[in-house]
Amino acid sequence: MTIEIATYLLVGSIFGLLLIGLPLAFVTGLVAVIFTLGWFGPSAIPLVGSRIYGFITEYSLVAVPMFVFMAGLLDRSGMARDLFNSMRVFSGRLPGGVAVQTLIVAFFLAAISGIIGGEIVLLGVLALPQMLRLGYDKKIAIGVVCAGGSLGTMVPPSIVLIIYGLISGVSIADLFKAAFIPAFILMAAYMLYVIITCARNPNMSGAHKPWADAPNLTAKEALKGIAAPATIALLVLGSIYGGIASVTEAAAMGAAGVLLAVKLRGEYSLKLLKESLVQTLETCGMIVWIGIGAACLVGVYNLMGGNRFVSNAILGLDVAPIVIILVMMAIFLILGMFLDWIGIAMLCLPIFIPIVKQLGLDPVWFGILFAINMQVSYISPPFGPAAFYLKSVAPEGITLKDIFGAMLPFIAIQLAVLGLMLAFPEISTWAL
Amino acid sequence: MTDPHSPKSQHSATSHQHIAPSDELSYSPEFEHTPEKTDLSDTTWVDRWVEKGGQICAWLVLIAMLISVYEVIMRYAFDSPTTWVHETTTFLVASIFALGGPYTLARNRHIQITLLQDAVGPRSRHIMKVLQWLLGIGFCVAIGYACWVLAWKATHTPMGDWRLQTSGSSWNSPLPAYTKIMLLLAVVVMSVQMLARGPGLLRRRSGGNA
Amino acid sequence: QQEWKFQINVNAGDDQYKIAQQWAEDVAQRSNGEITIELLPSSAIVGNNETLDAVGAGILQGHITDPSYFAGKNPAFAVYGNMVGAWSDPYQFLGYMRNAGGEDRYNALVEPYNVHLIRAGAMIPEALVSKRKIETMEDFKGLKIRAPEGMVSNIFQLAGAAPVNLPTSEVYTALEKGVIDAADYTVFATNYTQGYHRFAPYAIYPGFHSMPMMAVSLNKDIWDELSPDDQQMLRDSIDDFVDHLYQQLTEADQEQVEIAKQDGVKFSTLSPDELKKFRATAQSEWENWRDKSPQAKEAVDSMIQYLKDQDLL
Ligand code: NA
Ligand code: NA
Repeated sequence: MTIEIATYLLVGSIFGLLLIGLPLAFVTGLVAVIFTLGWFGPSAIPLVGSRIYGFITEYSLVAVPMFVFMAGLLDRSGMARDLFNSMRVFSGRLPGGVAVQTLIVAFFLAAISGIIGGEIVLLGVLALPQMLRLGYDKKIAIGVVCAGGSLGTMVPPSIVLIIYGLISGVSIADLFKAAFIPAFILMAAYMLYVIITCARNPNMSGAHKPWADAPNLTAKEALKGIAAPATIALLVLGSIYGGIASVTEAAAMGAAGVLLAVKLRGEYSLKLLKESLVQTLETCGMIVWIGIGAACLVGVYNLMGGNRFVSNAILGLDVAPIVIILVMMAIFLILGMFLDWIGIAMLCLPIFIPIVKQLGLDPVWFGILFAINMQVSYISPPFGPAAFYLKSVAPEGITLKDIFGAMLPFIAIQLAVLGLMLAFPEISTWAL
Repeated sequence: MTDPHSPKSQHSATSHQHIAPSDELSYSPEFEHTPEKTDLSDTTWVDRWVEKGGQICAWLVLIAMLISVYEVIMRYAFDSPTTWVHETTTFLVASIFALGGPYTLARNRHIQITLLQDAVGPRSRHIMKVLQWLLGIGFCVAIGYACWVLAWKATHTPMGDWRLQTSGSSWNSPLPAYTKIMLLLAVVVMSVQMLARGPGLLRRRSGGNA
Repeated sequence: QQEWKFQINVNAGDDQYKIAQQWAEDVAQRSNGEITIELLPSSAIVGNNETLDAVGAGILQGHITDPSYFAGKNPAFAVYGNMVGAWSDPYQFLGYMRNAGGEDRYNALVEPYNVHLIRAGAMIPEALVSKRKIETMEDFKGLKIRAPEGMVSNIFQLAGAAPVNLPTSEVYTALEKGVIDAADYTVFATNYTQGYHRFAPYAIYPGFHSMPMMAVSLNKDIWDELSPDDQQMLRDSIDDFVDHLYQQLTEADQEQVEIAKQDGVKFSTLSPDELKKFRATAQSEWENWRDKSPQAKEAVDSMIQYLKDQDLL
């Protein structure tokens, strides 16, 4: 069997198992096991164990439970509710004002963290129910949380750019500099979309909802609602940018800060703490086990020679450089439907980077293109990690169909920004 | 009852305090008409024990947080970073991840796509559930074997003598071996959970209740 | 007709990866296409600390790696992997491995894992980038330094530094934000191209503290099946590989050092007297490792004997 046929079989079996209704956490893992057995025999099964071990001991994932715990505390205390009530006051007449402010919060979170899982869970617990409570349409609310929460890997510090730098031998400093403006453009484009949509249809942002649900606060009261979360955010940002804590440790500092704030607000109880901890265990169980299956699959696919599939699509193309780059983008987008970013990086970058350098193109610019493509991969079906993270904490009644449906306009925005970067590389590279 | 954090409203222990649940999510009519309740009809007494155990294991999250903060303080304020926090945090978080698997299974909260399942009749739905169960067992047994090999190699020399794999660091703790044992434990528990669901699942066919 | 998959412990963008790739092509040529080696970058199949088991089980056919990753299985791996302060250039260490029974002792250690060391190689001494100038042992006092776990970090601790445990993916941001003052992380050329100097403008070059072994190993069953000619062919090809690696990495380092100097990076190194102090500290640490396992004792003792025989100690 050639690797091409094996690839189609692999994708087909993923779809089949998904349709049967097997939990996602089992789907990719089971496919990995079946292909390991079929391709290499039982002696290769320990590979799966090694992959699982490698995945769960990944140090950068330490931030995930910290973010989830933080989210649970913020929500169970009155802090989340107070914050969003205040944000509604400050949004004034701006159409979709709370969603726009949520994007700003997401951008701040992105500057704290380099991974997406924890951030989306945090926003999903913090912002999603609150936006829905304030009458926002779920399409807007979900899209803002997933697309905004994914920005963490575009805004420095970013684990995606660091790994890209390490794999490709490109300056991480340059990548960080070059990524900032494209990330900012992405956020601005999301905001613009929210504002235009809500201006055209005010009901999307809860204009039909009576104010009774959100008390009419004075500016002073509203400030009070923002004070505690803002202080924590500043402390965490300060601890990273002041060189006190590493990126991963900062998540723990943030969780400790929130716990302290809960105590100071007089809302602490053992029950609240326990519930937040148990929720953390459950949410981690949901999202990490999906990642575990994906990690197994990537290892097996690599061992089967998945890189040959990728290189066959590129090598021997006798076309203009920009067409080669477009083919690479297409491969990123297709793989992004099924694999997580680290798998795509492992599979494609060792093949693509030398070609990019040979064509005389800037590998830093290509890194930005890669990072934007990964933004798409987080929210594109059927395997959209951001969608799963959100689903793991979303209120009942929010289905995966709702989530993926809400992503479509945001995917379109991401593709538009990708096109912009392809057409005008200077937008990212002028800063170097 | 549409509390965002307690998918199972019967578990009042995890219900919400500050947000009055009843009118919370009444913004969209679709919500009220398609509430997606977690189906717990498949779970067994094993799952209930796992759930209890999970509530204890959840405290590991707090420990991981506290020692990370301790490391930051020791390093920044006292210039004496520890040799043990990094390894211990990795172990604790890996354990949370591993044990989260059985806990989430016990609460039937692993994400699945129920599109087809919801569309077909009760008979086909039951067949799909049996198929899910069989495939789930296949998954657990296969990775259980993989984790068994992993744990064996972490606890034995190639000659077969007992020896815990250590981290090789200055602290040189046996936490890598413990992590692998924890992983094996999680997968074994998941296998038992799945197996225990069999009789109930197969019995239900005669009752026609899926 | 054999197709082998080798996993190497570096990323695809590293110079070491490209040089290893040339070796793989060289083997194909020498064997008239009978043996083809596919080189996989770090963590492509399994994590760096799992490759020994993967090669033993035949999931991978071989690996090119620093044995220190397996120190948790037997501390002797750390002694072979990076005997800090013992070697100031790769050929001293290779002399021990090739001519003083080092390879045989190493093979006695790995063969129970069903892995055979074809030939020992070595990296060039690693650089140390820092926010402050380091010229004496005294300068290490209070220095927050990211160091690989094990012997290296213990010696820094003995020197009065505060070794910080961080994964490679966090080295950059930790230096940038000032969580750490210095980083012991791979060779200078790589440090420089990734932009570490922007936050750590001092570098110790040539490096003195760390020179990892590069073990090129094959699954033992496969090795035993090979004809003596093929075995010899592999050994020879690796010797050439190691020479290329030394030349090309040294050249790359020197090239980057010239560029870095123009960029304002300040270079320093320890004086011979200070180096002696460093070695004395290192030797007291060797004593600790001697006691950790019988194989570690054998390794440390034979290395000390070799250093004495060669008048290096
Ligand atoms: Na970020
Ligand atoms: Na996707």
